Amino acid sequence: MWDLLARSLGASTIFLFAALGELVNQRSGVLNVGLEGLMLFGGTAAFITAQTTGSYPLGFLAGLTIGGLLGLAHGFFSITLRGDQVVSGMGLWILSFGLTTYLGSAYTGPLGLARIPSLMGLSPFFLVGVALVAITWLLIFRTSLGLAIRSAGENPAAAEASGISVVAIRYLCVTVGGVLAGLSGATYTLSYNPVWNYNFLMGWGFVSLALVFFSMWNPWILLAGASLFGIMWQLSLSPELVLPGVLSRYVWRTVPFAITIPILVVISTPWFRTRWGLAKPEALGRPYTKG
Amino acid sequence: MRLGRYELTLEPRPAVSAVYTVLTAVVAILLALALSSFLFLSADASLLGAYRAVFSYAFFNPRGILATVQRAIYLLFCTYAFLVPLRAGLWNIGLPGQVFAGALAAFAVPFVLRAQEAQTLALAPGLVILLMVAAAAAAGAMLGGFAGLLRARLQVNEILVTMMLNSILFWLVAYMIKEGGPFMGATAEGEGFTLPAPLTAPLLRGVPFTAALALGAAVLLDLLFAKTALGYRIRAFGENPAAARYGGISPVALSLLVFLLGGAFAGLAGYHAFTAVPGVYKIPGNYGFYGDLAFYGIISALIARGSAVGAVPIAVLFAGLSLGARFAQGALHLPFGVDYALLGLLMMTFIASHALYQFRLAWRRVPSEVLQPAPTELPEG
Amino acid sequence: MPLTLPADRAPTEPILAARGITKRFPGVLALDHVDFEVQAGEVHAVLGQNGAGKTTLMNILFGLVQPDEGALYLRGQRVHFRSPHDAIAQGIGMVHQTRRLVAAHTVLENIVLGHPRVRGFLNLRGARREVEALCNRYGFTVDLGARVWQLSEGERQWVEILKALYGGAKILILDEPTSVLTPPEVKTLLAGLQALVRDRGVTVLLVTHKLPVVMAASHRVTVFRSGSVVARLRTGEATEEILVQHMIGREVAFRTADRSTETGRPLLHVEQLSAFNDRGLLALRGVSFSLRAGEVLGVAGVTGNGQEELAQVLAGLRPATSGKVRFDDRDVTHLSPLERWRMGVGYIPAERIEVASIAAFSLVENTALNYHFDPAFTPRGLLDDAGLDQLTRRILSAYNVKAPHQYARARHLSGGNLQKLILGRVLSRRPRLLIAHLPTQGLDVEATAFVRAKLLDARAEGAAVLLISEDLDEILSLSDWVAPIYEGRFVAVLLREQADSETVGAMMAGLQKEAGAR
Repeated sequence: MWDLLARSLGASTIFLFAALGELVNQRSGVLNVGLEGLMLFGGTAAFITAQTTGSYPLGFLAGLTIGGLLGLAHGFFSITLRGDQVVSGMGLWILSFGLTTYLGSAYTGPLGLARIPSLMGLSPFFLVGVALVAITWLLIFRTSLGLAIRSAGENPAAAEASGISVVAIRYLCVTVGGVLAGLSGATYTLSYNPVWNYNFLMGWGFVSLALVFFSMWNPWILLAGASLFGIMWQLSLSPELVLPGVLSRYVWRTVPFAITIPILVVISTPWFRTRWGLAKPEALGRPYTKG
Repeated sequence: MRLGRYELTLEPRPAVSAVYTVLTAVVAILLALALSSFLFLSADASLLGAYRAVFSYAFFNPRGILATVQRAIYLLFCTYAFLVPLRAGLWNIGLPGQVFAGALAAFAVPFVLRAQEAQTLALAPGLVILLMVAAAAAAGAMLGGFAGLLRARLQVNEILVTMMLNSILFWLVAYMIKEGGPFMGATAEGEGFTLPAPLTAPLLRGVPFTAALALGAAVLLDLLFAKTALGYRIRAFGENPAAARYGGISPVALSLLVFLLGGAFAGLAGYHAFTAVPGVYKIPGNYGFYGDLAFYGIISALIARGSAVGAVPIAVLFAGLSLGARFAQGALHLPFGVDYALLGLLMMTFIASHALYQFRLAWRRVPSEVLQPAPTELPEG
Repeated sequence: MPLTLPADRAPTEPILAARGITKRFPGVLALDHVDFEVQAGEVHAVLGQNGAGKTTLMNILFGLVQPDEGALYLRGQRVHFRSPHDAIAQGIGMVHQTRRLVAAHTVLENIVLGHPRVRGFLNLRGARREVEALCNRYGFTVDLGARVWQLSEGERQWVEILKALYGGAKILILDEPTSVLTPPEVKTLLAGLQALVRDRGVTVLLVTHKLPVVMAASHRVTVFRSGSVVARLRTGEATEEILVQHMIGREVAFRTADRSTETGRPLLHVEQLSAFNDRGLLALRGVSFSLRAGEVLGVAGVTGNGQEELAQVLAGLRPATSGKVRFDDRDVTHLSPLERWRMGVGYIPAERIEVASIAAFSLVENTALNYHFDPAFTPRGLLDDAGLDQLTRRILSAYNVKAPHQYARARHLSGGNLQKLILGRVLSRRPRLLIAHLPTQGLDVEATAFVRAKLLDARAEGAAVLLISEDLDEILSLSDWVAPIYEGRFVAVLLREQADSETVGAMMAGLQKEAGAR
């Protein structure tokens, strides 16, 4: 039982890191639908680096750096060029999907290093995740920088009129988002499941994206959501623990994704929107033109 | 960047000629090919030899040509599936899921009719084939329409819904063809049952009838957009949804329609991939690869800037390139995934060319507001 | 009739003064050697119609815009404001016409946003104490923890005023502060401003087009017209009539409606029509009127009094909250835009580029925007390209649209030519009800005269025309009936004979007057 929970939280961590980063850049008004791509690239870069250098810290560094660079690229296209944020995000995803399949194929297989030690079966990264949630919450809601970020995402004109550089804030947030996405991928390939396989994320990046919407842009609700999803995923891998013999394991694999859809529908209905809809950063996804 | 009274700015490009459009497309493709030279660095042959291996197999080898044609048909259907919603300003990235749905529906027909074995056919084979095509298109349409409806009625993000559906369908196919699932083949090796010969797509000189469908659809689609009132409405909505609404066009009906149509094409792609390609004729264990291949359809539609006929040579090119790259990979002992890398490079160059397409660098005079106000005489205050 | 009174000989130095300010924008002289001054501790009203130059001057005073000529003086010292930062640093605060608040955040968060004293860890408790002290000092009561979206428009205004005061403003510029307020909220605002000025020594500049506000709240008033100052008065010595006369002046009218035209049967009947605007506030409050074939009803008012919502409801682009619309004896209140086009309703929106046309499409394709559903132009579902081509060329020549050819992109047309094209396109359908919203806005003299003539032609051919405009001359020269609109209601529906520019202008500005009503 504990084993199942620990493994679940290991999966939750992956969702958590990526979704937390996306939460930060969405709070500032930038939408990155290519999250999966950044995670893929970060994870692949981390795996390759760790495999060739034998060093975990270097591997993580590589993953974080690549994630940050891709986030910056997305920022350039979305903020400076004021391009369609969906086009840029989709582009980054397909680009990463294609390139990582090639770059990582030579390294297919297990990471040849000793596993990162766990704390009583629980991945240490989950605790890092919880710490990051607390830090993010403090930052966003208790500092003037956080107030500026939130304002840039709600009403950039008002923020600019109050003396805040919306462009600078958005660049900062989109880079942080990218770094965390890279961390998520790196954690996957170096700790959660240290075996490289092409497209190893299998849609987890998009689930993380959905989690940001579900969490109503609140880091603590995000933590809860990510944990729940991790448990659901782990259960779907071993359904015999819950409902032995019922349905093929493949059908169980669809459950986490299938549950997302009705939840997405519910949060889009007018009833829900009038009560909770105000959580969405008003200016999300819209290019900002100064003045 | 400022230089005295002038500064370098990025500004929207005012008008784009057709020539420039084609030029940017060609440049994007050539650039991707040039960049892919990095992929061949570790090859057993020279760079030129590597490119030659890719192209000669795809376009000059009799078996290769046929394979290229087959794949081009598949890619074309995927291109149309993305292209139709794109013209309306919507994103259909549920292609893999809709392809799988189409495949499942196509194989469901003989399954339901208990026609897996040739002897037990009750209906005329031609009729069954027609049913299979219709079922595939319908299944894809329903899946696409589901996402389209949610988007039109509730503004649910179509990207998230379609991605979830992709994963769900992926695992559903696994369920159906593996470990005792209903469509499992006789060999029980994790693949679907093989279609009896009469139910496979009829061939004309080695090319299935789906080729005619694909080419015909290209012409029909471009005619639709250029000549019909419906096509006009789709384009107007894609360009300016507010103006379209002003002109009496219904956002809900239109969003739903384009997703139904797009999904139907993806369903047809699924029909083609698994029932019309000689040597396949079943849902294979590596069906996921076809889902990945569908993304080439996205790039084709983007580079062709929404023109169906324009997408034909691009799809043929990409079909050949991905096949040739896979072939060269084997022949030149390259790491796996050269075709995937090419996909990634193409996307990268497309984004770069898209920026060039929309913007240009220009030197502009700095507007007077930024400069110091000119001093004037002080009148008596 | 009393004319301009001499400018006051102020006993003290004006706290803020502008001398010889001139500002040119492409094609228009916004301010023409304007002299302007404000005394400390007063409420100074800046009055004028749209386009008179008052907002431009305020933007210059606040550092948003640089003047081409002239200088600013603060407390007698020459000052340069390169940006609002400079102005704010010198104690000038501005509350704009559109809200610059983050609706989802609390009042306190909005007030401290961007404030230099609030850095690093948000010491909201400390800031809260400071703001509460500020509130006490100025006599405000507002819940600092409330979310701005929960507040009424009037309360939001106060939050912006508080924000400016917290930023250290001693001079407060309010740009059209009452345009979205209900009458009781207006009372509260004006009383509060008076208290600010009287007890706390703040100086207030009140920019408005509304006479009741000027009369009720200001000590002195400066009247602008067409980029110049035409009057400086003590409010106590002025009357609304005097102010209206200064505001409006006299201008050349173009071709006027031929009174001898026969009018037909009643075509449009609107009853108690109400609608919300995009912010969820009631913008149209129970409008009623009837219109016959061959008649023009001119709805006269400053933008923001419900005109846009009226036009959109009649065109089917906005749902009516309550009330009925009958067209041709048929209840059309909930009919779709498409069915209205089919029924013979034609709509010319105010937003020519965003809504009425598609910039990337050719002129022929833009014509199709009003013809894609017409069976005569869509045989068997195919667009009749030849027919549309011919129609477009006819429109281009009949409406004198200067374009290279009919396949040029709409974005290459100038504003005037685009409007002529749109007008021609809509009128070619021979609508029986024509809704024209700001049809000549931003057009040059020639295009304006042309458009007005075409509207009269439509009237002569038996169309019922609803003309929504800010231009009084336009209304008076084209209309059979004049309905000044103010805060979502028709103040009156006057026969043209009974509508003179002072009366209508006064009603547009909120002055109630009894006159012949329908």
